[in-house]
Amino acid sequence: MFDQEDDVVQRVIQQLRRPVGIDPALDARVMQAIATPRPPARGLWPWLAAAAVLVSLIIWRPWSRSSEAEAATFQFVLVAPQANSVSLVGDFNDWDPKRSPMRTANGIWATVVQLAPGRYRYAFLVNGAEWRADPSAPTIPAPDDEFGKPSSVVTVGGTGS
Amino acid sequence: MMLALLLVAAQVGTDPRLDRLDPDTRAQVTTVLDSARHVGLPTEPLIQRALEGATKAAPGPRIVAAVRRLSADLGVARTALGTEASAPELEAGVAALRAGAPSQVLASLRSVRRHPLTMALSLLADLVASGVPADSAAAAVLALAPKARDADLVEFRRAVERDIALGAPPGAATSVRVNAGADIQSAGSTPGAQPRPRRP
Repeated sequence: MFDQEDDVVQRVIQQLRRPVGIDPALDARVMQAIATPRPPARGLWPWLAAAAVLVSLIIWRPWSRSSEAEAATFQFVLVAPQANSVSLVGDFNDWDPKRSPMRTANGIWATVVQLAPGRYRYAFLVNGAEWRADPSAPTIPAPDDEFGKPSSVVTVGGTGS
Repeated sequence: MMLALLLVAAQVGTDPRLDRLDPDTRAQVTTVLDSARHVGLPTEPLIQRALEGATKAAPGPRIVAAVRRLSADLGVARTALGTEASAPELEAGVAALRAGAPSQVLASLRSVRRHPLTMALSLLADLVASGVPADSAAAAVLALAPKARDADLVEFRRAVERDIALGAPPGAATSVRVNAGADIQSAGSTPGAQPRPRRP
């Protein structure tokens, strides 16, 4: 068994010791290739530049307002077991009851709204007629409540401050 | 024909959202909006106040009065906060002024706080609405404003409201929380925590 392995090893050694035959014209061809100026790779750079611009735009997103970038998700909840419908209305949805209808589970009405930094007045409209302030938020005080219906206020701060 | 052209011309500058107002109220509100725009005041808060009145079925004269009053107060807030103040800052400034904060407090806040003033001014208004005397609320906000983040101010308000609900006098609750300044330093978000919808 060892004899066979020695034979293989000897043959490998002989193979490795054989002189390498190199084409005599190889040196000349290499020197010519080095001396010849390479044409610029025009096809690649425009694509690289376009990709860089695209990445910059994605990171910067000039079409998005900074306030949108800082918008936070707020959940509004009202416990109203007897209600047939509840809408959230406020400065963030043009006080339009159709814009933020609330969903109920066992009399707990809830909805989620994206709010940019700012101070917003809002209220719950129950059954399309009854106004309720949010019991878990500051209420608009009487001097600032010109319309005689209860409202609350939510203030959204900046994320970076 | 000429009347129709005039009507069309008058409608060109009208925000379509104001179509919910009756024509007379809409015309008067539009006049207030034009005046505000002319002096560089934000018009969106005025539009929202008019829409609030419309949705709450308020009489036209009351809506117009509310919009006029808000426009005037926005001007006062801008005088106190400076011409660089943003629309949210001006709205919060109006709330603080109506709560009883002097204009000097608004100007002082501008000078001591690097961040936007919206949350600090709202805190001032909300504290007063919770029963805290205006001067105590102003002193507290001025003490917190230089270093507190917006999230700290929200946590401060909640802590004061909790203390008041538990029976503490509003002014004393505010003073105690200001002095226990360490309480407001822990309101930041936890790294790695899942974002959840906030509550008002």
